[in-house]
Amino acid sequence: MKKFLGNKTAIALFTLPALLVYTIMVFYPIMQTFFRSLYEWDGLTAGTFIGLDNYKNLFTDSVFFTSVYNGLIFAGIITVTQIGIASILAFAIADGAVRGRRLLRISYFIPVVLSVTVVCQLWLSIYNGQYGLMNKLFEMLGMSYRQDWLSGSKSAIIAVAFVNAWQYMGYHFALLLAGVRSVPEQYMEAARIDGATKLQAIRKIMIPMMAETYKFCLVFAVTGGLNAFANMYIMTGGGPGTSTYTLTYLMYRSAFRVGEFGYGSAAAAMLVIECLLATLIINRLVARERITY
Amino acid sequence: MKKIATALASLSLVFVSACGSAGNNADSADNGAKAANNGSAAVAEEATAAPEKAVKLRIYAQYSDDDTKLPYDYAVAELKKEMPNVELELEVQAQDDGQKLKTYAATGNLPDIYQAGTDIINTFKKSGNILELDQYADLYDFKSKMYPSTMNTLISEDGHIYAYPYAGNEFMLLYYNKELFEQNNVKVPTTYDELMTAVQTFTKAGITPLALFAKEKWPTVALYDVFATRVEPQGILKLQSGAASPSDPAYKQAAEQIYNLVQAGLLPDGATNLNFDQAASLFYEGKAAMFLNGQWEIATSTEKLGDKVDWMYFPGVDAASYEANKYAFVGGGNPGGYAVNPDTKDPELAAKVAAFISLKYAEYKYTERGNPLVATKVDKPIVKEYPAMMKKLSDDIPKITSTTAFDWGLSDAKFKAAIEDATQVLMTGGYSVEQFIKDVSKAVPAAK
Repeated sequence: MKKFLGNKTAIALFTLPALLVYTIMVFYPIMQTFFRSLYEWDGLTAGTFIGLDNYKNLFTDSVFFTSVYNGLIFAGIITVTQIGIASILAFAIADGAVRGRRLLRISYFIPVVLSVTVVCQLWLSIYNGQYGLMNKLFEMLGMSYRQDWLSGSKSAIIAVAFVNAWQYMGYHFALLLAGVRSVPEQYMEAARIDGATKLQAIRKIMIPMMAETYKFCLVFAVTGGLNAFANMYIMTGGGPGTSTYTLTYLMYRSAFRVGEFGYGSAAAAMLVIECLLATLIINRLVARERITY
Repeated sequence: MKKIATALASLSLVFVSACGSAGNNADSADNGAKAANNGSAAVAEEATAAPEKAVKLRIYAQYSDDDTKLPYDYAVAELKKEMPNVELELEVQAQDDGQKLKTYAATGNLPDIYQAGTDIINTFKKSGNILELDQYADLYDFKSKMYPSTMNTLISEDGHIYAYPYAGNEFMLLYYNKELFEQNNVKVPTTYDELMTAVQTFTKAGITPLALFAKEKWPTVALYDVFATRVEPQGILKLQSGAASPSDPAYKQAAEQIYNLVQAGLLPDGATNLNFDQAASLFYEGKAAMFLNGQWEIATSTEKLGDKVDWMYFPGVDAASYEANKYAFVGGGNPGGYAVNPDTKDPELAAKVAAFISLKYAEYKYTERGNPLVATKVDKPIVKEYPAMMKKLSDDIPKITSTTAFDWGLSDAKFKAAIEDATQVLMTGGYSVEQFIKDVSKAVPAAK
């Protein structure tokens, strides 16, 4: 093994294909995006080099701040709901006392396999101000809390985020359930013998031991939230006005509706930086020491 | 290398939006397959009829409903008689703000003939993806076949011709349900105050005063334009050119009026989430008293509501402004139609086909679709009588004093995006007039 690792040619030979694919498929386009963000470019002509002007404009554009803010709200909502509810469900299902576990496990995962379009259409009906289920629910509870969920400048982003949170909760649930299963049984047994309640055991043993899984879930939820696009594209079209814009949506609008690919690239570059930053922070704060068992 | 770079960069951007437009793609693929079938039938026919060398041209055109399918099919059938050696391979236009066409242009895969609007013309002009048709404009005597009033649809801002138009100037109309107005004792409004009274009466009676499909942003721009044009007939056009500011009295007042009307219940609940079908059905089912849409709505509205429906002149600020601006219409025309790819093998033939198709397209719309609003003169008799509302409009056309532009006719993309967003929020009622003015002002270019 040592001899093999000393063989530079062999290492190069084995890593080269992967490196090549990565460079062409991921690294090069990202570099292109950064490069193009320095141009005033309509996507067709050669474009003119304008240095950091696109970024300067971005930072004076109120839509940019709306987009970043919405991205953060979106990410916040889906992270808390998805991981929160998924954890509860995962711990409940892993518990031997729950009946019909298999059925529950499948039904929690169903929304994940549905197409985003289907889910969005479903929720469009639920949110509908005139005949929607949501308002009917409040009515049934005897509250006169009728809302146009997707038409309010403030409520729209929350309503849209919740749809995403609902859909991908099952995904996090599946990951967390796998995490729960991977924690060796003897630890929980030991805790039980020591007289810990179920809740205590989960809090003190299970969750810390699943730190790696949680880290992955966090990265996935946060970057997914910052990246959000499909939900608003289908449900609100970024509206009303710009109130459900995210950076991805801003990028889409700049490139395809306004025809400013350079500006769109600048927005995309900011998104890449934002996601990298979020990933770094999560990696830094969560599971700094690898837990072994 | 550079081309690859460009393609990759756009790919990385396209990727995110791919899921959103998947529906359109599937649709066009389906239609594409149908077109291919038609195509193979044509080949068989040709083998027996045409000794001339067969030419295949790719065409990218609208082909989604009867209003676009029937005239296109007619034009193609006529083309077969005139130029049997030409075979058209149809690719159905996607409803995607021209993204597909732009991607084709970026990858050098542009169809020989394609439908272009102002936005495409302006973009492609710069990148050399559109053929200047000035030298071919006398094909079929095209220029002299244009109505003098529709010349604006042929000649672009720079004085050149880039596309053969078939659609003439089109207009926004305010449709209303006569029966509902009578039942509720509401006078057809001629002034803002009367409109306010109408809105209040209908709201009280549980009827939506105006159905607007504000999920699409262009109708919201049009509604704003309606109020602006009552004082400043050039409406949004004057804003786009930088000759006026949203804080000018006419524009500020328009925003205030909409704000107040929306507060009074002008629009249905969640209007900014209503698509065309939802808003239109409110009107067709008699749940909404008024409906704002282009004149192309005449056929469907007549079909659904019979003689209960009519259109009114937009209410003015007061009686005097109503009379003065009665014929200041909203909407209009802009350069657009069938354009030619400069890299096509035989530009003259492609230009000839493009011109022919647009002439025949207009002919069918005029004679069979009950639509007098076409760009070119038609010397054939009308087969299908105009509906009453179209008759009324057609009689009014010579009296029109000014037109503005549809949202998609705006040439400044940045201004267009900003006014779309701002007017849409204005429809929610949760947007102050000051904020509206501030947001639109940012996108209004400095006066030229």
